[in-house]
Amino acid sequence: MGTEIIESGEGEFIAPDPDRARAWMREHKSRELKSKVMSEKDAVERFVKDGFYLSYDLSSMVRGPMALEREIVRQRKRNLWIAAKFTLLDTTLLVAGGCVSKIDVGFAGLGRTLFSAIENGEVEIIDWSNGALALRHLAGAMGVPFLPTRALMGTDTFKHSGAKVIEDPFTGNNICLVPAINPDVAIIHVNQCDEFGNSRVFGPSVSPVETAMASRRVIISAEEIIPTEDIRKRPGQTTIPYYLVDAVVHVPFGAHPGTVPGLYTYDTAHLEEFFAAREPDEINAYLEKYIYNVADHKSYLKLIGGPAHLEKLTQDEEYKEGYYL
Amino acid sequence: MSAGTGSDDANEYTSVELMICQAARLIEDSRTVFIGYGMPQIAAILAQRLYAPNICQVYEYGAIGPEVATPFRRNMMADARNSHHAVCWTNMTTMVATACAGFIDYGILGAAQLDRFGNINSTMIGSDYRRPKLRFTGSGGGNEVASLCWRTIILMQHEKRRFLEKVDFITSPGYLDGTQNARERAGLPEGTGPYRVITSMALFDFEPESNHIRLIGLAPGVTEDDVKDNMGFDIPVKDGLEQLEPPKQSELDMLRNVIDPERVVIGKVKV
Repeated sequence: MGTEIIESGEGEFIAPDPDRARAWMREHKSRELKSKVMSEKDAVERFVKDGFYLSYDLSSMVRGPMALEREIVRQRKRNLWIAAKFTLLDTTLLVAGGCVSKIDVGFAGLGRTLFSAIENGEVEIIDWSNGALALRHLAGAMGVPFLPTRALMGTDTFKHSGAKVIEDPFTGNNICLVPAINPDVAIIHVNQCDEFGNSRVFGPSVSPVETAMASRRVIISAEEIIPTEDIRKRPGQTTIPYYLVDAVVHVPFGAHPGTVPGLYTYDTAHLEEFFAAREPDEINAYLEKYIYNVADHKSYLKLIGGPAHLEKLTQDEEYKEGYYL
Repeated sequence: MSAGTGSDDANEYTSVELMICQAARLIEDSRTVFIGYGMPQIAAILAQRLYAPNICQVYEYGAIGPEVATPFRRNMMADARNSHHAVCWTNMTTMVATACAGFIDYGILGAAQLDRFGNINSTMIGSDYRRPKLRFTGSGGGNEVASLCWRTIILMQHEKRRFLEKVDFITSPGYLDGTQNARERAGLPEGTGPYRVITSMALFDFEPESNHIRLIGLAPGVTEDDVKDNMGFDIPVKDGLEQLEPPKQSELDMLRNVIDPERVVIGKVKV
């Protein structure tokens, strides 16, 4: 019995198990309104384990959870399997830090370090597309084992993914199914949140809600912690409700060297420094300077230039309209 | 393209400038256009500034109808400049759904390799998937754009190593094996597919009977033989081959002075 599978991609994926995911959400996700504020060190120690599947929202360049990624590198996490939905520096940084063994690729860039690691077989790639990865998170968020898409079919992207083509029982046409993903942990950088984790993302986004709902553990890093009373005054502004969240980390300029649109711009000079590091010793020098020899995000902000530099990045963000109320 | 003294006049332009200008002229006003990374972004901005003020640019990261701020910055995607003055900010799932539901008229994409049926490779070069000679970014939203938008426009440098009988990896679908209704049989939405290919030498469409890429226009100073010599397969040629207009001074001024003064994407004219 069962639906005939017309074609299966050969890519590896974690078999969807919605009942197991539901049971986890029932047992391990607290519905209590309690403060979850902690240091980035504690959050990563508690909720990111070697071998985990890790997902994040948007990219290193834009509202990326860079302070948390640096902490993951600092704690030398290993064998992570990451969802590179839309990524520029994130994947490269985590790969450079030796944290990654597999990457589900939507858009994986950037920099020679990452591409060399793929070409040398140091990390394994499973090709999907951005849309497929977003959909897999949506399926995980909905508690269903898969969702259909009309893309992917006919291509090598499909063949190397873990998607399947079946005959759609309603139209009789081919339809592509992508398996749900329930990441072990998600790291999401937001503009504002309260101590419980009620979070606001301002501006366009990839899939923060789906990613938070699908993931077993969620670490929120926030530019700003605001009173719950402010959240309750404008509930329409809330992107992620508190019970999805396990940890709240307060990291102003937490997306550096990327931008948080409407708040501060990219640190172009720093990005150039990062991408200029191509050889292993150059990359190690970068990691030593900005991660291993730095205690925490606060010290990192001093190292990159302190308040004067941060003020400049804020001033240089020319277009602020539309983000903050 | 043209050799010269390096001064900034319309007789001299880069191959990227040529492609961007051709693309900008193809974009119809009051249409929705799904924009890929890099060259397509610049082409859309140029079109909106000069020819199609009411196009609705859409981006996979969730911006609908932005009036993208210039100058263009390296790797600019999803930031405040790219999202500026939009009519709606949403998310990726909504954008893909919007294309799948039939609302997006054009998609514009770049390619590393292209085959004769318009199948795009932006994933890897080499014969071993696990040990690629060269790895690129992968699909990004390209697969969705090429699958779901009504018409796909592809921009690519015209080189023999890029135009291949068979690409190393089909990242995003063209007309697949070229047989009639191959896309529909695979399950892709009806009536979609590659519409034009713009290269540094020429303009192409796809022959309706064969779904084969077909030469329809030549860039200034380029011959039919130049085009064919730089492709890995033979191509049909449309009767009444069009002579493409070179970049106009107004286009180059907009590109060089306003959109990309640092020449991040458009490149520098060789002296």
